[in-house]
Amino acid sequence: MDGNELLGRLKKLSEIEDRSKDIHSLTYAQFPGTHCPLMGAAMAVRGIDGAVMMIIGTDECAYYTKHMTIYSEDWGGLTGRCVSVTIDQHDITFGCGKKVEDAYAELMEERKPEAVFLVTTCVPEIIGDDFDAIAEILTERYGIPVLAVHTEHFKCENHMPGVERTITAAFKLMEECAKDGSVNVLGQRMGRFESTELYRVLKSAGVRVGAQIPSGCSIDDIKQAASAKVNIVVNDIGLPLAKKMEQKFGIPYVFFDKFVDPQHISKAYESLFGFLGIPLPEGLSELKEKAEKSVCQGKEKLKGVSFIYGNTPFNVYEACAFMSSLGMKPQLIQCHGINDTDDESIKEILKSDDPYISQSANISPMQYIYDVLKPMLYLGHEYAMRLKMKKIAQVHTDMGGAMLGYEVTGYFVEQLVTATEEATAMREEGQVERRFGA
Amino acid sequence: MSLTRFLPVPSDRMGIIWSLLSIKDAVVLEYGPAGTTHYSMSLYGDIGIEQENRLFTTHMREDDVIMGDTSRLENAIIEIDKNFEPKVIFIVASSCSAVIGTDLRGVCAMVAPKVEAKLIAFEQGGFRGDYSAGLKETYKLLAEKIIDGDGKRIEGTYNILGASIGSYRCRADVLEIKRMLKEVYGLECGACMCLDSSLEQIKNMGSAGLNIVLRPEAVETAKFLEKKYGTPYVYGTPYGYRGSMEWLQSIGMITGKKPSEDIMQELKKKTMAASQYKMYGRMLKRDKAEAYLYGDAETVTGLASFLNDMGINAVHMISMHNLSGLKEIPADIKYMPAEKERLEILKSLRANLVFADDTSKRFLDGSNTFVRITNPMIDGALVADHMPVAGIRGADMIMEYVSGYFNTIR
Repeated sequence: MDGNELLGRLKKLSEIEDRSKDIHSLTYAQFPGTHCPLMGAAMAVRGIDGAVMMIIGTDECAYYTKHMTIYSEDWGGLTGRCVSVTIDQHDITFGCGKKVEDAYAELMEERKPEAVFLVTTCVPEIIGDDFDAIAEILTERYGIPVLAVHTEHFKCENHMPGVERTITAAFKLMEECAKDGSVNVLGQRMGRFESTELYRVLKSAGVRVGAQIPSGCSIDDIKQAASAKVNIVVNDIGLPLAKKMEQKFGIPYVFFDKFVDPQHISKAYESLFGFLGIPLPEGLSELKEKAEKSVCQGKEKLKGVSFIYGNTPFNVYEACAFMSSLGMKPQLIQCHGINDTDDESIKEILKSDDPYISQSANISPMQYIYDVLKPMLYLGHEYAMRLKMKKIAQVHTDMGGAMLGYEVTGYFVEQLVTATEEATAMREEGQVERRFGA
Repeated sequence: MSLTRFLPVPSDRMGIIWSLLSIKDAVVLEYGPAGTTHYSMSLYGDIGIEQENRLFTTHMREDDVIMGDTSRLENAIIEIDKNFEPKVIFIVASSCSAVIGTDLRGVCAMVAPKVEAKLIAFEQGGFRGDYSAGLKETYKLLAEKIIDGDGKRIEGTYNILGASIGSYRCRADVLEIKRMLKEVYGLECGACMCLDSSLEQIKNMGSAGLNIVLRPEAVETAKFLEKKYGTPYVYGTPYGYRGSMEWLQSIGMITGKKPSEDIMQELKKKTMAASQYKMYGRMLKRDKAEAYLYGDAETVTGLASFLNDMGINAVHMISMHNLSGLKEIPADIKYMPAEKERLEILKSLRANLVFADDTSKRFLDGSNTFVRITNPMIDGALVADHMPVAGIRGADMIMEYVSGYFNTIR
């Protein structure tokens, strides 16, 4: 494969006009490809204690999803909360409603779930069985809420819509209740909110944290979610639910993503405490100073460091804009798409850089790109040895998935600096080898 | 069959893909949404299949589903042909492309003039049965489309047909079979369909003097090769000592070779020793020596026969896969697709020797003795390639369990 030819297929950030069509994959044949929304739905249901996930799909869809859950305590292991109804040729021709009803009856005989997420996949969506109606019928018949979640992958690019649709479906469980001054956390999909700086700040200010949807809540928590004063949306997958809750229950929301730029974090804190109607906690200014100090240190060490962005737990464009502001050079950004909320960050990147943009989750052809772009850093999951062979240091950021607030800045800069030192050392070693070799 | 609580039985499509990826230099392109390919990585990784630069997906968008646009597939085929120069590209349908009726063979015919690689399409999307049906289709298509050598005999060689990496300890079983045939008759394996052989080796399968057929799904292919190249075949996997001895004898009859006397004598001794367990069975007062077997029909059949040699009655013999069209499997092996029925049986077992999968193990009480003989493997990881279930070494391992089992019953 020719790296230059592959890059020739891509558009640069400034050239992206149609956001759904202008972001190309490096190759037509991809490996491993993106995750599917069914997996996203499973990620969401995992965190909702007392809920059962019933997959309606092929043996294969059911197999892989169950396989993912069998070592998870949250799911209850092999005999846990993930079950399925597998469809065959007969069901495709005649519909699978009856089979689902029979399976549901078996489930009700054996278990007493507090809610059931009926998760459809590609094939039932193509054949057009009406699972919203089936969910309603089952809800009425057994008196347990059944929520239909549609996860056909051919209508979306990755797994995130699966998470989004699952938590948005949970809206149906919510009941009117008196406000108690608490906050909900919407869209926390990795790690526990209790481990974040934001949680500690809220706790120190005496603010109670209510439902954490989907990571770490019960069906009761969801039912009582309307008692909150403010919703904190920590990932844009929580936005549709936040908007519905605002419309029905009058609960305002604050978009408090996993920002890395201290200015964005500062604004989010101000907005949150503004809605809560209480002053910013005193300790925050100290945290902000610490984050800004790490930014200053980062600028000294990271100027001119080139990188390819694969994936991190952070917001793609906010993180890339932040790195640009540190003087780093984005060469290629892999992403699933561009959202309206990315506009400001894109403007920031374009002030100094114009990287290539490609669809993510296609690592096979990347090795040919490395030969052309020769980046110092790669952010995200890749084969570590392959990167080392190309003298590229891998930036590990997975632990950032369990962070929110100024702590993200310090952690991220530290990872970038560590990786840069590693890349520099690898390149210096290379020079020594070449010298002796000559 | 309605509610599936555990891992479902793998589909035909899964059987096709793991078989094709078990061919050393095969490249597989899936025409469907990318998520399934990404999701499958964990399973294929678990069973020891390398995927990078061998397994690809085209992904599929709504436009492709509604309008039937196949340009994404055509471009991907051309691209793989150019970038990797494979001899063959296997194009496998997804559930989506199968439901909308994409004519994969038509697309292949259209693209073929533009590429060097041979294109072979599998149009099953996971709806034509379980993995057993997929294996059958894979062996058949490989024989029809790949094997095309001149058929000139290479003396002292054989092929293995019907190896499936999805089966528990498949690689160990194949290695044991190769060891036995080498030591007893000095025979060499030409190609193994489908495990660790290259496309070139499979292409030349017509040159072998004998085909060894390990499972019923490959019998049709063996007959095809018999008709085309005149290659005789022996059906069956050797399980147990007597089973191994008879299997070796049948190979000797076809090849006209004399077996190694030392090994045959050893097998006779071991067969006698195993039959001594019948006496223990007759001495039981409280329990009965009974077994429950669940797995690949061929394995269940073979092990039930071995257990019978030791006086253990196989009361339940259940095939994991559908048996339709598999005439070689005895009628007393049942196919029981509903989990609920199997669960009820498992929960009722007392003081049984249970040969099954890790899921079944969860539902056994402490009076039973469990032996894993089939995937899915949930508890731990498969590492050893020298610990087969089949052959003489496999029988040795089973004997250890049987011995332990007799210690638990009275």
